[in-house]
Amino acid sequence: MNRRSITRREVLRAALATGASLSLLGSLARAQAQPPAWLDGGPLPWRNWSGFQHCRPARRLGPASEAELAALLRDASGGIRPAGAGHSFSGLVPSDGALVFLDNLAGVVDVDAERLQAEVWAGTRLAQLGPLLDARGQAMPNLPDIDYQTLGGALATSTHGTGALLGSLSSCVVGLTLATPGGELLECDATHNAEVFHAARSSLGALGVVTRFRLQNAPPFKLVEKTAWRDLDELLANLASLRGDNRCFEFYAFPHSQVALEITTNETDVEPYTLGSDDPDGLQLLQTLFALTRRLPGIGTKLYDALLRRSGTTEHADGSYRVLTHPRTTRFNEMEYTVPAEAGPDCLRELLRTIRERELDVCFPIECRYVREDDVWLSMFYRRPGFSISVHQFAELDFAPYFEAVEPVFWKYEGRPHWGKLHGLDAQRLEALYPRFRDFLDVRRALDPRGRLVNAHLHTLLGV
Amino acid sequence: MHASLGGPLALALLVGACGCFAEREAAPPIVLSEANARSYQVACATCHARRGIGAPVTGVEADWRERREQGIDALLVHTVDGYRGMPPLGSCGLCTEDDFRALIRYMAGLP
Repeated sequence: MNRRSITRREVLRAALATGASLSLLGSLARAQAQPPAWLDGGPLPWRNWSGFQHCRPARRLGPASEAELAALLRDASGGIRPAGAGHSFSGLVPSDGALVFLDNLAGVVDVDAERLQAEVWAGTRLAQLGPLLDARGQAMPNLPDIDYQTLGGALATSTHGTGALLGSLSSCVVGLTLATPGGELLECDATHNAEVFHAARSSLGALGVVTRFRLQNAPPFKLVEKTAWRDLDELLANLASLRGDNRCFEFYAFPHSQVALEITTNETDVEPYTLGSDDPDGLQLLQTLFALTRRLPGIGTKLYDALLRRSGTTEHADGSYRVLTHPRTTRFNEMEYTVPAEAGPDCLRELLRTIRERELDVCFPIECRYVREDDVWLSMFYRRPGFSISVHQFAELDFAPYFEAVEPVFWKYEGRPHWGKLHGLDAQRLEALYPRFRDFLDVRRALDPRGRLVNAHLHTLLGV
Repeated sequence: MHASLGGPLALALLVGACGCFAEREAAPPIVLSEANARSYQVACATCHARRGIGAPVTGVEADWRERREQGIDALLVHTVDGYRGMPPLGSCGLCTEDDFRALIRYMAGLP
């Protein structure tokens, strides 16, 4: 499978209020721009996928059983944080205490063929989960764009894919087991320890460490994904039919451009095929193309748009888990807010206008997705269908000027930030956005009264 | 507990036995420990067993020839700190320096 390039959709994916909160984001960027030096022979640092978040944990723990994990939590002195695969852009993981990795708690525990449910260890990487479920006659109904994450990390942050009738991954959880900071193993579902269940389906890793999830799955299915270049205004005018007529629909808007890349994904019975090839350097090519055309007054924008449109399209049909996720070998930092679905187009237009008027020197495509509402307490989609807008900046560039400029636009439209991505909100402002925020804090306080799982980022997020 | 992932790990991952580095003089097979074989499957293989995405593919001589010339220490630093598309720690947060050295040798065909 070959899926990236400026000659394909990925290419173009690539060829691509101010105040205290913003200051916080900016100061974080400046303070963490210089990672600690790694000394050969010394303890290894921890860094996230983008390289922006980092720490020097005193201990890195890989429990081989739930009992061992529970004992570690009970007996740990100092701070302790679950680490997942390290793909979150936000500061959920960094701790100078202990980091817990669940790589040894991975795989499928059991399956219920009749109910199409599977119990899965939280340390399972999403990339491994697709084949594991397929071999057992099941598939997750939807997946995010990237599959590097652990299941536990993806669910802790309400990670999602796209589809107006499809919920976040957390909405597929029908049961879970939580290793509490006190060393208990707590089994939870909608009727048993229900309050903990509603909080722990998207927990930020603040309630303990979830060891396993029971997922409501679907029978295995095949999908075909197709990309097409559109005029942005025409695409926005057709949003209702695009999101209603396709199982999964998303698009990329391009800063300083009038074109958009439409991506539709639907069920199919055809044999696997791929049309079009991808270029792993597509985003770098986009960056170069943008820089060159920006220097051509008068014709630069038209030339940029024309070249984007000529960069090709792709089609890809295969099993669902092979189509929904994509390799991402250009690293970046990301901010994402979910606004009410009906407000999405206006928010996007204002965001693009802000980029244009402030002459922000950014070209990274802006990803726009629809997600169904759910009842997960800290979900961005809690009781509200969402339109998620993701802005990115190349990992080697300072994201702060860009993200600080556009974040107030998201706030204006009552955007809820993605927990695994960068934002500048604190507890006071988050409480106004998440109706069950107080309930979550109550559950957290009962489970971790001493705040042993609270790191600096969670201190800001939760106000504890 | 690891039964679901045990099958592929039990294959014992022998790069030297696959003939992928056949252009060079025969080298003794590089064998990963069970733990490192698991780390390879869970973390490294996500990119390094996938052609066409820009990452050097395990056992492909042309992908590794110039990288090997940098030496194991340079490759180790790139792995720990991250380098271009390579994420820091190769997404293996539990791996030690010795683990990384073994995994790099395995993928790059370094003795």
